[in-house]
Amino acid sequence: MDRETVERVARAAHIKLTEAELERYSKDLNDILSYFELLDEAPDCEESGVNPIEVADVLRDDEPRMDADPDVLLRGMDTYERYIRGPRLS
Amino acid sequence: MTMRSILSGLKETNAKYRMFHAMTEDSDPGDAKFLFSAKDNLTSADMETCSGSKILVGYRPPFDAESIAKMRAAGGKLIGKCNMDEFGFGTFSTNSGLEIPRNPYDLERACGGSSGGSACAAAVFEGHVSLGVSTGGSICCPASFCGVYGIAPTYGRVSRYGLIDYGNSLDKIGVISADAKDLRKYTHIIAGKDAKDPTSCAQPEFKDTGRKLKSVAIPKEGVEGLSKDVEKAFFEAVERLRSMGVDVESIDMPSLKYAMPAYYVLATSEASTNLARYVGMRYGQQEGDHSLKFDDYFSYFRSKYFGDEAKRRILLGTYTRMAGFRDRYYAKALKVRQVVIKDYKRAFETHDAVLAPTMPFSAPRFDDISGMSALDSYKADYLTVPANIAGTPHISVPCGYGSDGMPIGMQFVADHWDEEVLFDAAEEWEKGFEMRKPEVGA
Amino acid sequence: MKIGLEIHVQLPTKSKMFCSCPTTDAPAPNTHVCPTCLGMPGSRPVLNRKVLEYGIMLAKMLGCKVADTTWFSRKTYFYPDMSKSVQITQYDNPIGEGGVYYLNGKKPIRITRIHVEEDPGKTKRVGDLSSLIDYNRSGIPLAEIVTEPDISTPAEAREFLGQLIEDIRHVIALPGDGERSIRCDCNISVGKERCEVKNVTGLKNVERALTFEMIRQTKILKAGGKIDRETRRFDEERGVTISVRKKEFEADYGYIDEPDLGIYHLKEMADAIKIKESPQKMALRLAHEYGIDQKAAKQLVTTSVGLAETFEAVAKELGVQNAVKWVSGPVSAGWKAMEARGGSPDDVVPIIRRFVAGEITDTECALEIKCAMTGESAESVKGASGDLDKIIGEFLDQNPAIIADYAKNEKAANKAIGFVMKQSGGRFSSAEVVEAVRKDIESRM
Repeated sequence: MDRETVERVARAAHIKLTEAELERYSKDLNDILSYFELLDEAPDCEESGVNPIEVADVLRDDEPRMDADPDVLLRGMDTYERYIRGPRLS
Repeated sequence: MTMRSILSGLKETNAKYRMFHAMTEDSDPGDAKFLFSAKDNLTSADMETCSGSKILVGYRPPFDAESIAKMRAAGGKLIGKCNMDEFGFGTFSTNSGLEIPRNPYDLERACGGSSGGSACAAAVFEGHVSLGVSTGGSICCPASFCGVYGIAPTYGRVSRYGLIDYGNSLDKIGVISADAKDLRKYTHIIAGKDAKDPTSCAQPEFKDTGRKLKSVAIPKEGVEGLSKDVEKAFFEAVERLRSMGVDVESIDMPSLKYAMPAYYVLATSEASTNLARYVGMRYGQQEGDHSLKFDDYFSYFRSKYFGDEAKRRILLGTYTRMAGFRDRYYAKALKVRQVVIKDYKRAFETHDAVLAPTMPFSAPRFDDISGMSALDSYKADYLTVPANIAGTPHISVPCGYGSDGMPIGMQFVADHWDEEVLFDAAEEWEKGFEMRKPEVGA
Repeated sequence: MKIGLEIHVQLPTKSKMFCSCPTTDAPAPNTHVCPTCLGMPGSRPVLNRKVLEYGIMLAKMLGCKVADTTWFSRKTYFYPDMSKSVQITQYDNPIGEGGVYYLNGKKPIRITRIHVEEDPGKTKRVGDLSSLIDYNRSGIPLAEIVTEPDISTPAEAREFLGQLIEDIRHVIALPGDGERSIRCDCNISVGKERCEVKNVTGLKNVERALTFEMIRQTKILKAGGKIDRETRRFDEERGVTISVRKKEFEADYGYIDEPDLGIYHLKEMADAIKIKESPQKMALRLAHEYGIDQKAAKQLVTTSVGLAETFEAVAKELGVQNAVKWVSGPVSAGWKAMEARGGSPDDVVPIIRRFVAGEITDTECALEIKCAMTGESAESVKGASGDLDKIIGEFLDQNPAIIADYAKNEKAANKAIGFVMKQSGGRFSSAEVVEAVRKDIESRM
């Protein structure tokens, strides 16, 4: 994993790295990924489940209901006239 | 120690061991039947919940986690939220954005992770039960380091509603206690189908209550790389098991060595998506400059408040699921999980449980941990990770003590949904085992 | 030129996709919200059964193969309206794949896939300083239909969308204002490289955005330039597309499976679901099965699927000729009036039956049908149609050339129709006038 890739990954993950962090994480991630090369030799398998046990067909009926009081939910949030505040869009 | 004396000395005890991030102000247990604590990644409506992260400081969840709600309904009083590695990312509870719990046997040593505060509380408070969460070994590791019992039930046995996610296909809520009998009792209380968590709805009833442990398999791969103390204590324990009438056989489980990399790929892939929601809006820290463009605003929070290990795992997990790398890492890891499950199932055809030491060493000193690389600490999980990636239930029991007096644990793994045989193993083992309680004093 | 569309349709469920919050119009911002659609830590999704059912219906309507097993994926991207910074959508094994839609019953537009996913919330800009977010829309279920680049022109894209939406509305009972709630990502390439115009709302805007893009790309290519692969957005007010980001800065969504939901076996569910025939397909089938003109068949279903059903009932029982004569004629002419007064078409079949049995005459049958449709009394209808016939008769007497012209081209009737419409001052519906004029002309031929 070269420096450029680490920068690209960090950008995708929305994490700003200092020069020192970039250096350190590049080294750590390289060590870790080298170890992960073990996976390449691991036996293949037809199945690849989403969960370790089978969880299937769990569905809910289409019945509207308020499970929580929205006013309580908004209490800890930064709001303006019931809108939740966010950063500039562009 | 009565409930009242525990409550009245809570602050003082916590100042010494730092097991709790948040705790009750009450000194009166009221009509509580028992006291319990919970790892701080389980939401509690009456206490701040941070999952060990600075980014969530100030978060008061509007609802109780289902497991906490069930403990309360059974008469339990929640006394504290336990310190942990940030979002569960660690083996020693030292990767906390808040406070680091101290080992009750030696304050200079770690409690293990990531449910370190929970294991610490279980070891320190008499008659105490604590809820822990295991993703890759986070219940059994601290249970073994703190000399107590801990169970991670089958994936899906306990509702994850109200659990702050680390890896959704791996996370399991379980019980830690100094009393083996508590594991059965409280697992039964918190288990069950919950319409709010679809993955809890696949479970059958607990089967064969009272089923006895008759045979165990020890994988050759599970007794490699052990410290001298662990090796000695473990093989003495195996002899004791034999004398108790349990068949012991050595087997090969070649897939175990692939479990560690596969686990870290799945866990970090999932974690990096779970942590994407923490952007300085809606909950936790929100004090940023809204005139920043959203990309910069989000990055500001995430860079400032996520700790070192959280960032490392986010980067790793973002990489392993990225287009171009996804097949090699994420998709392959999903397949390896199935291979590991098959290996376990094969062992369970002829044995009740698979047995190995819980950790390859006993609780390390904080200064030794600070010298370890990230990869070193990942590798330390090689014994707990296989059962976790397979979603099979596993239990850690104290099996002896090292030359330095630190506790050592061994781990039984059983088939999916077969917790009962583990409860029996722990309870039978407990009879006649000389437990050395830590010296607890303020 | 190649155009491909990604069409987002809100599904008409009563509750959201992964939580029980209502989907109806909310009284104020952030009132139909809960921990799940706000993405609060510890919350969890539970899938609404109806979302899978609607997804299967649309997959069937589009001729897609419905997956035996389906599951969900996490698409990670950062934007203030996406409460978890993760959208639960489908990546591997979507509900349906590999369908085809026949535009105007002829031109095949291949359907790559259809999947279901959750809608994000809505953002509101506050000057240039910050944003305000309303999560009422967060978690509303969407179907995303992806086409192959088989569409040739912006006008064709609009036509395709129009027909598709009409069909969707019929098959899953989408409420009336569905058109505006259709959102499209439009991919268009005039040369080799394509651009994507994201999130265009409504049919008209899709055509406008594509037309602008077509001209922009053509100009660049003519001037010897190169099209950059990029994402653009459409400015509705100015009617232009604006570059948002180049390909190399595209977000990497890093799809992984969604472990919180498990998997879904669709086969049994899909076998149990029978969908209503879509209007476009019905028109095609009617034309084919009853040997009528495609335009006439289209006219029937466009007026109302109920009318087309009446046509089919009559054709089956009393023959195509009678269906064409009566249902495409006076029944069709009176359909809107019948709908307006909340009437039912049930009474007309016995009337036609009596005509076929020879119990009533041609004129009587027409009169009775008209009464049944409009709910008026025989006397007033008779009087009025007498008036109508009189106006037509007099006009044709004075303009006999129309009869000869009509034999060559049916459009010749338009002259008489126009005159009568004007003369009668809107007393008669256009369908009625057309019908009466044709009848008179044909009787003179």
